[in-house]
Amino acid sequence: MSVSIAKQGYQLGHGHDDHDHEQVIYQETRDMRLLGFVLFLCSDVVLFSSFIFAYIYLRTTVAPIWPPMIDGHQLPRLDTAFAAVNSVVLFGSGVTMHYALENWKHGTRAMYNLFMGLTILLGAMFLGGQAYEYAHAQIGGWSGNTFGASFFTLTGMHGFHVFVGVVFLAVLWWQSSRGVYDHERYFGLTAGTLYWHFVDVIWVALFFLFYLW
Amino acid sequence: MATIAPGVKTGPYHAVLDHIHPEPTSFIRKYIFSIDHKVIGIQYMITGGLFFLIAGMLAEVIRYTLLQPQGQMGISAATYNGVYSMHGSAMVWLVIIPLVTGAFGNFVMPLQIGARDVAFPWLNLLAFWMFPVAGVILFSSFLIGAPDAGWTEYPPISVQGPPGTTLWCIAIFLIGVSSTLTGINFIVTIYKMRAPGMTLTRMPLFVWAQFATAGLSFIATTALAAALLALFCERVFNVPFYDPSRGGSPVLWQHMFWFYSHPAVYIMILPAFGIVSEVLPTFSRKPIFGYKMIAFSTVAIALLGFSVWAHHMFTSGMVPWLQLPFMIITMLIAIPTGVKIFSWVATLWGGSIRWTTPMLFATGFLITFTLGGLTGFFLAAVPADYHEHGTYFVVAHFHYVLYGGSVMGLFAGFYYWWPKMTGRMYNEAMGQWHFWITFVAFNCTFMPMHWLGLMGMPRRVPIYDPAAWYVFWNQFASISSFVLAASMLLFAYNFWSSFRSGKIAGPNPWGARTLEWMISSPAPYYNFKKIPAVLATPYDFGNPLPYLGLEAAEGATEATPTHSSHPVPTY
Amino acid sequence: MEGLAGVEKIIALIGAIVVFIFALIGLRGEWKKTGLDDQVTKLLLGLMAFGCVLVVLAAFGVLPRGGGA
Repeated sequence: MSVSIAKQGYQLGHGHDDHDHEQVIYQETRDMRLLGFVLFLCSDVVLFSSFIFAYIYLRTTVAPIWPPMIDGHQLPRLDTAFAAVNSVVLFGSGVTMHYALENWKHGTRAMYNLFMGLTILLGAMFLGGQAYEYAHAQIGGWSGNTFGASFFTLTGMHGFHVFVGVVFLAVLWWQSSRGVYDHERYFGLTAGTLYWHFVDVIWVALFFLFYLW
Repeated sequence: MATIAPGVKTGPYHAVLDHIHPEPTSFIRKYIFSIDHKVIGIQYMITGGLFFLIAGMLAEVIRYTLLQPQGQMGISAATYNGVYSMHGSAMVWLVIIPLVTGAFGNFVMPLQIGARDVAFPWLNLLAFWMFPVAGVILFSSFLIGAPDAGWTEYPPISVQGPPGTTLWCIAIFLIGVSSTLTGINFIVTIYKMRAPGMTLTRMPLFVWAQFATAGLSFIATTALAAALLALFCERVFNVPFYDPSRGGSPVLWQHMFWFYSHPAVYIMILPAFGIVSEVLPTFSRKPIFGYKMIAFSTVAIALLGFSVWAHHMFTSGMVPWLQLPFMIITMLIAIPTGVKIFSWVATLWGGSIRWTTPMLFATGFLITFTLGGLTGFFLAAVPADYHEHGTYFVVAHFHYVLYGGSVMGLFAGFYYWWPKMTGRMYNEAMGQWHFWITFVAFNCTFMPMHWLGLMGMPRRVPIYDPAAWYVFWNQFASISSFVLAASMLLFAYNFWSSFRSGKIAGPNPWGARTLEWMISSPAPYYNFKKIPAVLATPYDFGNPLPYLGLEAAEGATEATPTHSSHPVPTY
Repeated sequence: MEGLAGVEKIIALIGAIVVFIFALIGLRGEWKKTGLDDQVTKLLLGLMAFGCVLVVLAAFGVLPRGGGA
């Protein structure tokens, strides 16, 4: 069947009462927004992929050794143990976000609030950990060498996404407390969850590339 | 409630859907910050047209400089560098890409799929307004020293280049965001908002082209954004990405840049393919030959377009073993392109052809684009490319595909849809003169560049061998380019006078069959009084129109839209 | 494992296992759903679980090769 029939003014088979019809319109509007949002995330993946390509390229085809030599000394590796803890914090926030959305769908408001708060807290903790990491990474700063350039640009972009995500989730939390969403119509929460998962998964790649490779 | 087609029913419209946004009446909401796709499309056209004028004048400065071989025309080398860099950048990002997607995509595509607007009208408004802002930023770089490394801005020259290069980064980044947003908007629109019964294989071919183009732009453009961000950081914060003395690599820029810019070539040409696929069957009065083959080859070109970028880099010192696969995949693109050319020629075969201006431009497109495609084959061959890289042969090639392809396609589309935009006809005789002058002057301008390039004349250099042969062909090309520019006056005058006092066109002056011609001209604010149901492809000339529900709409006397395209606000 | 790094690795290991398990439970709950958002969630939750595996490997010193910090 063709798409968006209700949006175009056609009745979808049966269903004449106001609520049904409005529900169909809601559903199709939501589907369009969802598709648009997923496409936006896809293009954001390309943004990160390009910088990841740059990092791999500089590391494997340009640099003679890695980490690179600066003034006759080889740069140290990054602190894997600390980053592992910080990664767990971020992945954990992804899981709590998932359960926040599930609880919203099932109407268990208290659990939703718990998980949502936990997600925002963990997200903020991750940002704090990143700040600590930036202060302690001994790799010559952003503009010192290609290691620092790749590391600070990629994790900086990611950190910016996390920051935007924390604000995004805080706004969603506030909106849901104000009754903007109900348990059938909550597209904002879906979008926030997808965005937050996306940010986590980008970190999986960055964690591997910078700390484990 | 009546069943008008299998699975498609009409009935009394519902109270919820009667939530009408009336047409805005204030000048600002109607013409400046409109969310109507048709107005936005025309805004793109006007803005892109102005940028075309500026970028075209820059081209004439280039040709003026080259009238004499040793810089006797008084244009300094530094100015020349800025001029050709800005000419290329503006033509690609401020003229062709916004015109083929923003202008024609916005104006025509929703009409052709039977929608009342795009999926996200406000996003469309936002994307449009980034475009003039980006243009102003780009051209203002002339004030502080224009970028001088060509439109490709290869490092390390661009890293050390004049301050305007930073503005160039910002402007291109902005236009890239705009293009990405438009791409997302179009994909959702085409995927979700087609009229009932319009399956994917019943879509007009222009819509197929926009679909593939939108896919290219929302995936590839962010790669350019990354390259620009890195260049920006390197110029402003001294972050080493591209500087070889600090462990960076100029070749890295070329990879990231061409990963976008090769697909961008198809962003620029696919919509022109789409326009030609609409114009040729209409004026041949014949079903398009090989509908599915044209549609699928469009998608094939878009997909292959992602895996050929390094053919721009054969001489850059990239890994040698990669040259062969890139050469082969590049040559593979000739297959879907050849399928299209064949199908278009076969559409003409045995048709009752009417030589109107759009038809002339479309057939002109067939000739010049094919020539440009053939030289592309030379450039894709690694051994030949070693000789031709960085010469005027390349300039000739991409002007044949971009001017002879995209711009000729744009002209065809402009003449074709002008009656739909304004409700008036242009002057046919003047339009045909415009075509013939354009076609002859275009070939005289760019054809000599092939042999100039083969003889080794490098691009982007204001001085050249003063031997009589070089001087003659350069002057020949320059004078032809002045004629080409002058032909634009005819074009502008034609549309100005048509806009003022052209003959009233009526809903369907060409006897075309796609949906946009089924409604009055200019198209009403809400596009369709009633959304029709679609039963077949639009190209079956000789059969009854494949639309249901239009007759009732035409019978209605008052223009009362039954509901708006903007659904009830929901979250 | 010595000093602070050892403590961090133990925290990371335990955390990763807990998160991994809850990610898998979440994934199981999503498994039968077919909406676009559900499909994307499946993919992303799966990749997140993979991230937990990476953390476990890091905690045991399997990655990075050569030990790391």
